[in-house]
Amino acid sequence: MFKTMRWVGLSVGLVVGVAGTGFALAQSKTPIKIGVIGPTKTLVGKQGVQGATLAAEMINKTGGVLGGRPVELIVYDTNFAPADGVAVVQRLLTQDNVKIVTGEVSSSVSLAVIPVVQAEDAIYIATVPKHPDVTNSGYDKVFRLNSTTAMDATAFNQFLTGNVKPQKVAVLAENSDFGRLTIDNLKQLFGPKLVFAETYGMQQNDFNSMVTNTRASGADLVCIAGSNMEQYGNILRALSDLNFAGRRCVMPGILNSEGIKIAGKSADGAVSADIYVPSLDGDMNRTFVQAFEAKYGNKPEKIELLGFESIWLAAKAMDMAGSATDVAKIAAAIRQGPWETPRGKLVFEANGQAKSGDLIRLEVRNGSMEPIRN
Amino acid sequence: MTELIAQQLLNGLTQGMAYALVALGLTMIFGVLHVINFAHGEFYMLGGLAAVLGVTTAGLPYALAIALAVVTVSIVAWLVDRIAVAPVLDTRDGPATVLLTTFAVSLLIHQAVLQSWGPAPGRIDGLPGAISFGSIVLGYQRLLVLVAGIALLAGIEFVLRRMAIGRKVRAIAQSAYAAQVVGIDIITVRRVTFIAAAALAGLTGALLVPVTLFSPAMGQHVIINAFVIVVIGGMGSPIGAVVCGLLLGVLEALASTVVPQEIGTAIIYALLLAALLVRPQGLFGSVRT
Repeated sequence: MFKTMRWVGLSVGLVVGVAGTGFALAQSKTPIKIGVIGPTKTLVGKQGVQGATLAAEMINKTGGVLGGRPVELIVYDTNFAPADGVAVVQRLLTQDNVKIVTGEVSSSVSLAVIPVVQAEDAIYIATVPKHPDVTNSGYDKVFRLNSTTAMDATAFNQFLTGNVKPQKVAVLAENSDFGRLTIDNLKQLFGPKLVFAETYGMQQNDFNSMVTNTRASGADLVCIAGSNMEQYGNILRALSDLNFAGRRCVMPGILNSEGIKIAGKSADGAVSADIYVPSLDGDMNRTFVQAFEAKYGNKPEKIELLGFESIWLAAKAMDMAGSATDVAKIAAAIRQGPWETPRGKLVFEANGQAKSGDLIRLEVRNGSMEPIRN
Repeated sequence: MTELIAQQLLNGLTQGMAYALVALGLTMIFGVLHVINFAHGEFYMLGGLAAVLGVTTAGLPYALAIALAVVTVSIVAWLVDRIAVAPVLDTRDGPATVLLTTFAVSLLIHQAVLQSWGPAPGRIDGLPGAISFGSIVLGYQRLLVLVAGIALLAGIEFVLRRMAIGRKVRAIAQSAYAAQVVGIDIITVRRVTFIAAAALAGLTGALLVPVTLFSPAMGQHVIINAFVIVVIGGMGSPIGAVVCGLLLGVLEALASTVVPQEIGTAIIYALLLAALLVRPQGLFGSVRT
């Protein structure tokens, strides 16, 4: 009788043990540390970290990486400052011993940290930065998930010239590599039609003077190029407050619902484009959106997606490479692709740039981003 | 062109008034306590936060939210004074120690807000609508900032010149030792000055959040400009803070019509700093003997 009971107990234990093996192993084995950098004290930085955190949780719940090792994120603030970025990446690579660094919003910060990553022979997966040079450094272990300004321009310029058809254009851009590059792109596209171009500091919060000059330029289209939603939201409000009559365009990849909330009704009618909207089809996107909503209470957008993808990709590439430390193998695995992510199939070009299909054109209607169907 | 200049003048005056009000509190503290309060920007931020929470969470009308901001910041300032300023002010190297303790307080407040509120901006609408003169537009909220600013400056001038507490403040600003000799309770007057300056910063924050949005970093952004204005206007000179604050706002706005805004700001700061070479005590400061 006791023998029978012992066997029953052992069997039940085995079944429970096997079922829980993935989760248990993921909790008990040495964690694999992945560095996440970004301006975490800002909303956009927080959104990226939320996506990354969700990815780590989902990976760990399904058994972790490399036969059960959990992913552990080490998150540092770069404060939109290249010097801070260099300092935290050095700390990640030399003190925390990570092999993969992900994240960042600012192109200037990303460009500053790449030499540090290269010196330590590590992998950098840039999430939001859009400057083309991020993937033109010549270092073969740099990857970028967002589209570049040049890729955006190819798709969006046609929309501006063919559909919006402005006579005079103004551009208000943040004083960063991304902002200045956008001004150059629009100068090339519109030539003498670009009648006003101005940059603003990353800490500026009153835009009335700038918008007054924009209005005086006679522009019938104003394009905003700034990744900080507090700032572009405030610019949209200032345009309405000062009765700017022309159309508003927020350069591709920038607009999100938090920025629209800040701008309120002033955002209505603004056009933009992006690589992702949460309403995309696909099982993985549905799972991602549901999990994100359950954890954070709102739908994920592009920044959250990029944060998610960076950790998801790093983990899956480590699995494929069979190593958490052989960066050459992991980089080769990333390049090999294609990768299934919530936005669809992701492939990487030789220079490390991700591609996933056409930009989705958007217009703000009644405070919501809606795809333009034409 | 005339309309452009007029619009920029209005933009500059409202921006300048914001600079002036924050700098005024900072210079009041320096004038009376002879210390630099690094937490001053965070008082401004807390005022903005209290106004946002008052409207969005407590459902208060904006006017009451402003009052809530003043009361909240006054209480926090009282605590800061009791914990981080008064106990060390009269010790050896007191002013230098206060610089460090208020810096610690500013980090503490900033991180506490970041941890509890998060990095997200907050928005309230303030006074809706605007006055238009042709193409010149002035929002009612900006008008309120201007009018309230002028009223506050007049009120502070009245208190300093006509009321007993104002005379005591001026006496301590001239010589704390002499004021003590004639029986002025310098600890109380210092405390009142510290709390009043903080309340002014909180009120300014509450007035400006409908214009610029609330952000946990707003205090850190504003404090740098405020320091520059205080130094150029003359450390401890209320008139210097007000004139330089307004001047900076107006010059920035007007310069933006001819040169890019950031270059204009840099040139103006360079010119104002060059003025310090001629008057090291600041444009309105007096030479200490």
